[in-house]
Amino acid sequence: MVEALFRFFFEHSPAMFSQGEIRWAVSSGSLVAAVVTVAAVVLAVVSYRAQSRVPVRARVVLTGLRVALLLLVLACLFRPVLMVRAAVPQQNVVGVLLDDSQSMRIADMDGQPRASYIQSDFGQVGQGALGALSERFAVRVFRFSSTATRTDAGTALAFGGTETRLGAALAAARQELAGLPLAGLVMVSDGADTADAALGEALLGLKAEGVPVFTVGVGRETLDRDIQIGRVTTPRTALKGTTLLVDVVIAQRGYDGAVVTLDVEDEGRLVSSQQVTLPAGGAPATVPVRITVDEPGPRVLRFRVPSQPDELVADNNQRESLIDVRDRREKILYFEGEPRFELKFIRRAVTDDENVEVVALQRTADNKYLRLGVESADELVTGFPKTREELFAYRGLVLGSVEAGAFTGDQLRMIAEFADRRGGGLLALGGHRAFSEGGYAGTAVAEALPVVLDANLRQKEGDVQRLSVRPTRAGAASAVAQIAATEAASTERWTTLPEVTVVNRLGPIKPGATVLLAATDAARAEYPVLTFQRYGRGKAFAFTPQDSWVWQMHASMPVDDLTHENFWRQLLRWVVDEVPDQVEIRTASDRVEPGSTVRFTTTVADKAFVELNDASVTGTITDPGGAVVDVPLTWTGERAGEYAGTFTAAAPGWYEMRVAASRGGETVGTAVAHLRAAAGEQEYFDATLRAGTLRRIAEETGGRYLAAGDTGTLADDLRYTGRGVTTVEEHDLWHMPIVLLLLLGLLSAEWGYRRAVGLP
Amino acid sequence: MPSACRNRALALGVALLLAGGVLAAQERFRGRQTREIASTKVTYDGRFAFVRLRYPGGFRRDPGWAHDYPRADWHLQRILAELSLTRTFEDESNIMTADDPDLSLYPVAYMSEPGFWTLTESETTALRAYLQKGGFLIFDDFRGARDWTTLQARMAEVLPGAQWQPLDVSHPVFHSFFDITALVTEGYYGPAEFLGLFEDNDPRKRLMAVANYNHDLGEFWEFSDTGWVPVELSNEAYKYGVNYIIYAMTH
Repeated sequence: MVEALFRFFFEHSPAMFSQGEIRWAVSSGSLVAAVVTVAAVVLAVVSYRAQSRVPVRARVVLTGLRVALLLLVLACLFRPVLMVRAAVPQQNVVGVLLDDSQSMRIADMDGQPRASYIQSDFGQVGQGALGALSERFAVRVFRFSSTATRTDAGTALAFGGTETRLGAALAAARQELAGLPLAGLVMVSDGADTADAALGEALLGLKAEGVPVFTVGVGRETLDRDIQIGRVTTPRTALKGTTLLVDVVIAQRGYDGAVVTLDVEDEGRLVSSQQVTLPAGGAPATVPVRITVDEPGPRVLRFRVPSQPDELVADNNQRESLIDVRDRREKILYFEGEPRFELKFIRRAVTDDENVEVVALQRTADNKYLRLGVESADELVTGFPKTREELFAYRGLVLGSVEAGAFTGDQLRMIAEFADRRGGGLLALGGHRAFSEGGYAGTAVAEALPVVLDANLRQKEGDVQRLSVRPTRAGAASAVAQIAATEAASTERWTTLPEVTVVNRLGPIKPGATVLLAATDAARAEYPVLTFQRYGRGKAFAFTPQDSWVWQMHASMPVDDLTHENFWRQLLRWVVDEVPDQVEIRTASDRVEPGSTVRFTTTVADKAFVELNDASVTGTITDPGGAVVDVPLTWTGERAGEYAGTFTAAAPGWYEMRVAASRGGETVGTAVAHLRAAAGEQEYFDATLRAGTLRRIAEETGGRYLAAGDTGTLADDLRYTGRGVTTVEEHDLWHMPIVLLLLLGLLSAEWGYRRAVGLP
Repeated sequence: MPSACRNRALALGVALLLAGGVLAAQERFRGRQTREIASTKVTYDGRFAFVRLRYPGGFRRDPGWAHDYPRADWHLQRILAELSLTRTFEDESNIMTADDPDLSLYPVAYMSEPGFWTLTESETTALRAYLQKGGFLIFDDFRGARDWTTLQARMAEVLPGAQWQPLDVSHPVFHSFFDITALVTEGYYGPAEFLGLFEDNDPRKRLMAVANYNHDLGEFWEFSDTGWVPVELSNEAYKYGVNYIIYAMTH
C-alpha cells in the first residue's frame, strides 16, 4: 500500500530512488528562466509590501507562498533527473529459489495449498512472476529443502522435502551462480527454517558480495484450526524400568475447550492414553505423562493426538522422541555412619530392582564396618574409598548419618569431585551426624550440596521436628514425587503419609537449587525435605528426614503399599540417571535424514575421570542391514578428551555406534549409542508463515520482502538492484505528480489566504 | 576396633554394669515380686529403643512376658550404645502389645517366654503386618517341647505357612557386629538351638524372627551386673543381642 502510494506520487519505485542518484540537467534556457524567476520574486515581494492595508503577518505569509511557488517552478526549469543503473535486459541472471518442502502442502491460502501458489506464480514458463522475470532476466530456478538443486523453469515440484534449510539453500545458489552477472535472488518460501544452524552465516556471504535477496512469503502467519504436539522433552538415555514424567505441550488454535485424547506409544505399543481439555484463548496445554520404559534398547516413543475435524494440518499431531533404554546395573555406594533403620529399608526398597544396586558400607563402631552387597572380598575392605579411582567406580553416592570428621580432607574433596568431575549423583541424608550437625559447614562437600550449611546454625541436641512432607510445585512435576500408580493417587498419597522426623537445621537454599519436597516446620516456615541442584557435571541432593522408613513401617501404611519402594526407586534412579561412563558417545541429534553425514564425538577419561588426549579410539558402526563399518576417531583438539569421527547414514533405520578406547594397550572403556536415520516430521511443526525470518533475509541483504500475490513489481525491483550488466537510465522528475500537486497546493493556498484577508 | 579389643570392651562394659548394679538389681528384683508391671513407652525421636512385647496371661504378678524387665532391656540398650555407634534411649524402653500402633516405630521387638503366649485377632493381624513390612522379632526364654509347640502354633497364626528353620553359625545374623564363630550349644535350660523364620521361607532372604530355643539371653542381660552369672556367659549373651539388633537394622 505504502509502496503503491509512493509510486503514484513519485512515478518510480523506492528501490530506484535508493539505488539511483538525483542530478540537475541544467541548460542555457534554465539560466534565463532563473533570471526571470528572480525578477518575479522581487516583483512579488515589492508588490506585497505595498499592500499597507494588509497586516504585516499576512503579507509575510503571502510573500512566502508566492516565493515558494516560484522557486518550485525554477527547480523544475533546472530539470532534475534520477540517474539509475538498470539491468540490461537478458544480460543478467536472477536465481529463483522455490521451497520444495512438505510444508508447502499446507492448504492455508484460501483453502488452497501453498504449493498451488508457487506453481501458478513461479511454476509456469511465461506466466506470473516467473514470466515477468523471464522477460528481463536469464532466470535460474532452484528447488530447495535441505539444500538447493538446479531445476528447469516450469518443472513441477514434488513438495516432499523433509527439511527447510534457508541458509544452506541461499549459500548453495550463491555458489552455483558465482561468476555470473547476478542481479539478485528470489526466495519463495514460508520461511519455516528447520535447520539447527543459524542463518547469519549464509547471510554474511550474500552481504559481502552485495547480492540482494527478494523474499516472497507464502502461507499465513497463524493457522485458524490446528492442534500440534508442541514440545516433548525426554532424556536421551534412561535406565530400564525407570518411570519418566514427560511434559507434553499441546499447542492449539481454534479448539478452545475441546476434549482430545493424548496417546503415547512405545514402539507401537500403547502405553498411555488420557483425555485432555484444551484451554481457552488458544493457550497451549501442558500435560504430564507417566511412562515406564521397561524394554531395553533404542526406543521410539510416539506422542499423538488424533486428527480433529476441520484441522488444517494433521501431520503435526504426533511427535516422536527417541530414548536409549539401558539395561544395566548401576552401582550406588551408601555409606552409613551409625546403625539405624534407614539403611535397611532403603536397601530393601531396591532389592528387587534389577537395575539399581546399593552397596552398603555400614559403620557399626569406630573403624568397624559391615559391608553389604560387595562384589569382591577386597571391595571397601578398608572402609570408605581412599582413591578417586575406587570411589568413581560407583555412579551414585549416598552419605548417611556420618560426620565430616570421619573423612580426610582429601576424601571430602573426592566426594565433591564425585559430582563435579565424575558427574555422579551425590545424595546426602539427614541424621544426627549429617549436614551442619555433622560438621560439614565449610567443607568441600558443603560446596556441592544444594543447601547452605552454617556452622552456627545447628539443631539443638535432642530437638526433633516432626514433619508432614508434601511435594512442591516443582516436585509434583518430577518423577520422584510419583509414589503411586497415577498422578492423582500420588497427590492423594502424599497427604496421608505419616510424619517423619528431622534433626538437622539448614541454611537457605542455594541459587539454582530446586526444592522438590517440603514441609512446614514448627516456626511455620517451609522446611526443605528434598532439594536438588546440578553441580558441575553431576548433581547433588539433600534429603533431610532421618526415618523415611516410617513410610514403610508405620501402622497406617497398608502392607502392600509401595510408597516407600516407589519413592526410593525413583530417587535412586534419578541419582544415577545419565551419569557418564569413562567413554561416552555424543551426536548433535538422535535423528538424521537418510543419506546425511553423521559426525559423532566421544569423550574418553581414565578411572579418575581425567580426560585422555592420547587414547586410541575406534568406532564400529552397524547399519540397519547389519553391515559393519570401522570408523577411526581422532582427537578434535578443541576439548580435552574429545574425539570425533563421521559416517554416512545412507539407509533409513537404526545405526549402532560402538566405540572402544584403549591406551598403552589397555582398554579404557567402551560405549554404545544409537542413532536413527528417518525422514523428519518437523516440516509440519510450527509451519506457519515466518514473515519475520524472510524480512530479515531481505533487509540484511538489501532486497525486499513481498507477500504472495504481490509480486507485480518484483521484476522491476530486480532491474534496479544495480548489480550485473547495467546501463544508466535518466528519468526526468519534474513531471512527477507530486510536483504538480505541490504547485497546485501552493497556488490554492495563496489564493485562499488572499481571500481570507480581503484581497482580490 | 579389632575383635579381641572389642571383646575386652564388652567385658569392660559388663564390669561397669556390675559395679553400679548389684544393689539396684536386688532392689529391683524384690520390687518385681510385689507390684504389677505396666505398659510403658518412650517418646519416639529416631533413637533405638528396646521393645518388649506384652501378651495376656501369665500367672500372679510375674507374667512371663515381663521376665527380666527392665534391667535386661536397659542393659542391652546401654551395651549397644557403648560398643556400637547406635544411638539408643537410656534407662527407658518400651512395653507394647503386638497391636499397639506405636510398635511400628521400632522395627525390632523382643518376647520373653513365648511358651505362654496368647494372641488376639487384632494382635495376629498387626504382628503379621509388622513382620511383612520389615519388622524383626526375638523370641527368648523358653524351654522344651511344650513351649516350642506354643510358639510354633502362635507364629503359624501370624504367618501361615512360615517354617522355622535351624540357623547355623554361617548365617549373617551371627556376624553383623561380633563375629560369632561357634553357636552356644548348652543353653540356660538345656541343649540350645537357634531357629529362624525367613521371608518366603527362603534362607537366602531376610530373617524375620529368631528363636533362642532352650535359652534365656534376657537372664544373662539382666544379671550381667550382679556377678550371679559368669561374665563369659553374659558376654556371649550380649553378642547375640547386639548382633540381632544390628542385623535387623541392616537387613
